Amino acid sequence: MGSPTERVIGALYQIAGYMVSWTYMLPHTRVENWKKLRELAGLTDLSNPPRQLYYTGTWNPDLFTSCVAIVGSRRISDYGRRVIEKIIPRLIFEKKTIVSGFMYGVDQYAHEVCIANGGKTIAVLGWGIKHPLEGTDKKLAARIISSGGLLLSEWEDQKPTLWTFPVRNRIVAAISHEVIVVEAAVKSGSLITANIARRLKRRLWAVPGEITSRTSAGCNSLIDQGYARMWLGDTPQQLPIMKDPLVQLVADHVLTANDIARKLGKPVSEIGAQLSLLTVSGQLIERGGKYYVSEN
Amino acid sequence: MLVKINSVANIGLETVPIDVEVDVAEKGFPGFTIVGLASKAVEEARERVKTAITNSGFDFPPKKITVNLAPADLPKDGAAYDLPIAIGVLSGSGQIVLPAGLNYFYGELSLDGALRPTRGVLLLALFAAGKKGGTIFVPSPSAAEATVVTNVTVIPVGMLADLVRHMTGTKKIPVLVHMKYVAPAGEELIDCDIREIAGQEQAKRALIIAAAGGHNMLMWGPPGTGKTMLARALPGILPPLTDAEALEVTRIFSISGMLPPGVALIKKRSFRSPHHGVSAAGVIGGGTNPLPGEVSLAHLGVLFLDEMPEFPRSVLEGLRQPMEDGEVEIVRVAGHVRYPASFTLIAAINPCPCGYLGHPRRECTCTDRQIARYRRRISGPILDRIDLTVMVAPVEVEKLSVMREHTGLATSREAKISVMKARKIQEKRFAGTKLYTNSQMRNREVKEFSKLTPEAENFLRLAAEKYDFSARSYMRLIKVARTIADLAGGGSILPVHMAEALQYKQLT
Repeated sequence: MGSPTERVIGALYQIAGYMVSWTYMLPHTRVENWKKLRELAGLTDLSNPPRQLYYTGTWNPDLFTSCVAIVGSRRISDYGRRVIEKIIPRLIFEKKTIVSGFMYGVDQYAHEVCIANGGKTIAVLGWGIKHPLEGTDKKLAARIISSGGLLLSEWEDQKPTLWTFPVRNRIVAAISHEVIVVEAAVKSGSLITANIARRLKRRLWAVPGEITSRTSAGCNSLIDQGYARMWLGDTPQQLPIMKDPLVQLVADHVLTANDIARKLGKPVSEIGAQLSLLTVSGQLIERGGKYYVSEN
Repeated sequence: MLVKINSVANIGLETVPIDVEVDVAEKGFPGFTIVGLASKAVEEARERVKTAITNSGFDFPPKKITVNLAPADLPKDGAAYDLPIAIGVLSGSGQIVLPAGLNYFYGELSLDGALRPTRGVLLLALFAAGKKGGTIFVPSPSAAEATVVTNVTVIPVGMLADLVRHMTGTKKIPVLVHMKYVAPAGEELIDCDIREIAGQEQAKRALIIAAAGGHNMLMWGPPGTGKTMLARALPGILPPLTDAEALEVTRIFSISGMLPPGVALIKKRSFRSPHHGVSAAGVIGGGTNPLPGEVSLAHLGVLFLDEMPEFPRSVLEGLRQPMEDGEVEIVRVAGHVRYPASFTLIAAINPCPCGYLGHPRRECTCTDRQIARYRRRISGPILDRIDLTVMVAPVEVEKLSVMREHTGLATSREAKISVMKARKIQEKRFAGTKLYTNSQMRNREVKEFSKLTPEAENFLRLAAEKYDFSARSYMRLIKVARTIADLAGGGSILPVHMAEALQYKQLT
């Protein structure tokens, strides 16, 4: 690693990534003798460290200086999305690299939001690096790499199977300095990552959720048992002054256009127009027909 | 003796004159043959005619009888030739004398000599009216539909014996009088009043916009939230059918034999809701002699597709032509026919296969991939023709009871008045063009007829940047905004209209 030739090759790959939307698979490289690399020292904390490491993208040691893992369930709720949108911009501002498992749901959304906010992200795959990707997976992978991130795996040819996913979780936990569990059910892969992180003495955070929600039960129990710190985000320094009764109403509850019209006693046509204006101007966010107040 | 009786064949909505030639020969071995590309149903007329004549107390001549249906190369189907054949046999054997003038006979016989309801009587009446001074003899159960046509004498025939008495002059059948079209008063057209629907204010508003501008609409929401009820309410807020429109709809129902006996004219806008097991021929129209499908039966009315992704792909793709052209062309061995099919499409979609994605109290059991696959089933070209998309969220039970007492809500009748006003404005705008409603505008007309204020245009540009609209979505939004502005009085499109239109944009 780090030899001039390899840097040139890496740069070429990156150019290829920009120019060609490759048809079959991404070119990959093996990390020579990774145990000697200082940036991967975290991995040696593991009792069963990977034998080999393969990657796609451009190797940049700085990527590993401060990693935060964001993990969570495959089934992502609106709440999970909002949490990710809130956490990631701040982490990027603090120059952190976002690490996650490239699985659909929380993982992929974390990668996406990270790229959208100009951050760098490492995706630790639950299968061999040569395994071909399809559809949205392929597009996301291309964007991770072209934004300066990496795809990482300990296998070359391994197919995705039930056991490969929990195994790759140990790498996610080991290369990160902090782990944030966004949404997790009681029996889930995210809790495996959390447990490994705890054993490796990584700082573990869990985002609290509703006690009635199945997808937050795992997070809540991590907090309850004292394993994880409760992530509450940062409270705004100054509450925005909201004169508009509509914005005020939406700040307190998440509501649909119908609910808002009913509560304010105005025709839905008028409220609808107002909501569109506020959404386009960026004061409100609409998702699945429900409105939220924008954080920034 | 050879006699010639006039009758007609209906091919699609086109009516062709048929000569029924009946020869009762003095010489030859007794027999009864029908020639002239007769289908099985026409062939079997032999037995019905023979029995009906005998059971009516007349003689069926034991002679060589030959029936020719001319033109000989046109396939004939249906039981409507029973009456002309029977009259031909009776007159050929000298038992009756045909009245003078242009007479058309049409109808199916029962074995006891009674006439049964026969489809396509309205088309015969329209055809005969074009021939000046024609008289039509039709089954009395179906005669009502002929009375809406002027310039034609309609003689309703109950029994074959009555007709013979009418011709011999012993007892005349009274002529049916022409009925003038009376537009029905509001209430009787309303199946489901929008006021009865709990909550869903935004969906109801979208219905009014759909009715005013002729826009197609997509409803998106879990089961049991009122999507079907909302769709059912749409015919009630559409403007009543005009005279000409009613006739057009009745023609389609007459040819498909779906006109209830005794009903003269269909005055209600139709609401068709085919089940998702339906075949492509059932929706588009088809059969050896192509009959109208659901799209034509929904002509000038509403076609409701519940759980749209569950429909076979062939059905959904088949909707593209009628949605574009307002008519369907069906090609079969027997020839090709055209049926009008200009309808408002209302589609309902569950948010995911199990139906409970985003439901506040129930948990969805679908995976992301299942959901993606479910949504992909509706192709882009179909979605492009749907202008309004609205979320129909579950209504909480407490609200249901509160809403019942709520009296400030608009009724279908009030909604209809505002819809009619907006339609008037469009009529004036599109005078001299082929368009009727805002939804029919193409890009060129959108630019010509939809003036945006600079602020509205600015807002639209901002929204386009934010949501990354395609050119199509952009035009769709302007069309919807045009209708919203028409509902507000018809001035130029203001930012509020544009902003409201944005509420009904497609989900991504």
